[in-house]
Amino acid sequence: MFAITPNTLSNFMISLSRYVILLSLALISVSIFLIIFLENDYYQGISFKIMFIHVPTAWLSLAIFLLMGISSIIGLIFKSPTAFTVARSLSPIGLIMSIIVLVTGSIWGNLTWGAYWVWDARLTSMLILAFIYLGHILLLHSFEHFQKADFASSILAIIGLVNLPIVKFSVDWWTTLHQESSVLRMGGPSMTNDYLITLLVSFFGIFMLTIFWFSNIFYIIVEKRKMERSILLND
Amino acid sequence: MRIIKLNNQIKKRFIFLLIIFACFSTSVFLISYSLKDQIAYFVEPTDLKSMNSIENKYLRVGGLVKKNSLKFLDGNWVFEVIDQNQNSVNVVFSKTLPNLVEENKGIIVEGKFIDNIFVAEIVLAKHDENYMPQSAIDKLKEEGIWRGN
Repeated sequence: MFAITPNTLSNFMISLSRYVILLSLALISVSIFLIIFLENDYYQGISFKIMFIHVPTAWLSLAIFLLMGISSIIGLIFKSPTAFTVARSLSPIGLIMSIIVLVTGSIWGNLTWGAYWVWDARLTSMLILAFIYLGHILLLHSFEHFQKADFASSILAIIGLVNLPIVKFSVDWWTTLHQESSVLRMGGPSMTNDYLITLLVSFFGIFMLTIFWFSNIFYIIVEKRKMERSILLND
Repeated sequence: MRIIKLNNQIKKRFIFLLIIFACFSTSVFLISYSLKDQIAYFVEPTDLKSMNSIENKYLRVGGLVKKNSLKFLDGNWVFEVIDQNQNSVNVVFSKTLPNLVEENKGIIVEGKFIDNIFVAEIVLAKHDENYMPQSAIDKLKEEGIWRGN
C-alpha cells in the first residue's frame, strides 16, 4: 500500500463510488422496510428500534478510529502521504458517527433507563472518543503546513488508540448502567435472528454510505492539493 | 534468513511510536486500575457487607427487583433489590418510577441508608442485553424452556 499514491487511490475510489452509493441506498431502504415491520421487543417495546441506528454507528465510530490509528502508524513510519490523507479524511466522519451514537443513545436512555445522561464508564469513554475526534480535526487545521499537521494529529490518533479497548470492554470491566454487548460477545448474539439480520443489513447500508463519504472527502483533499501546487508552479 | 531488511530510519521511528504507545497505555491502565471503585457505576448488595460505615453515605446500589416485593404504600414505592448471591436491600422511593422498572428486572437506586433502609433519590431501570419479540417467548414457553416470569 506504500506504493499507492493519493491520486491513484482517489481515482480508484471515485470510479467505484456510484456503485457504492447505489448499494448503500438499496441496503438502507431494505433496512428501513425491515425495521418498520419488525415485531417489538417483549420488554422495551418500540423504543428498542433506535438500536438499528445506534449500534451500527457505534461499531463504525470505533472501526473508523482503528483505521485512523493504523494509517497514522503507517504514515509516520513509512512517511506515506496516502496513509496520512486517509487518516485526515476519516476524522470528520468519525466525529459525526460518534455524535450520532451519543444523541441516539441519549434518547434511548431516557426512554428506557429514565435518564438522558449518566457518568458511567461506557458513556464517558464514548464521549472521550468524540472529543479525540474533535481534537484531531482541530489539530489538522491549526498548522500552516499540512506535513506538520499530519505529524501532530497522527501522534494524537496513536495515543487515542488506547481508548478503543476501554470503550469496547468498559461494560465488562466495570459495572455500568449501559447494557453488555448483544452481538459481539462470548457465546454468540443474545438476540433473535430477525433482529440480528435487520441489524446487519442496516450496518452494511451505513458502512457503504461511510465508504462513499470517505472517498468524496479523500477526492476533495487530493484535488485541492493539486490545485494549490499548480498555482504555486505558475507564479 | 532475513527477506525484509528494515531500513534504519524506519526501525527508529517504529521504536519511537512503540515507546509512546506503551507509555500511554501503561499510564491509562494504572489510572483506571487504581480508580476502579470510582469508575464502577454501582455496587451490589453483596459488596455492601464488606463496606464499613455505609450509613448516611451517598451510594448507588444495583441488582434485580425481587419478585413479589414491589408495592405502593402511603405514597411511596417500596421494593427489595436483590443480587445473584441472594443478598438484598430494602428500598423506599417517593417519586415516579421509570417505565421499565418491573419485578425480576434490573434496577439501579441512588441515595442513602437511613436506619438500614435505603432511601432512594434517583431510580434508573437497567435493561440487559437480551432482545426478543413476544412471539419468541411464547414459543419458548410452549416448549417449556423459558425461565423468566
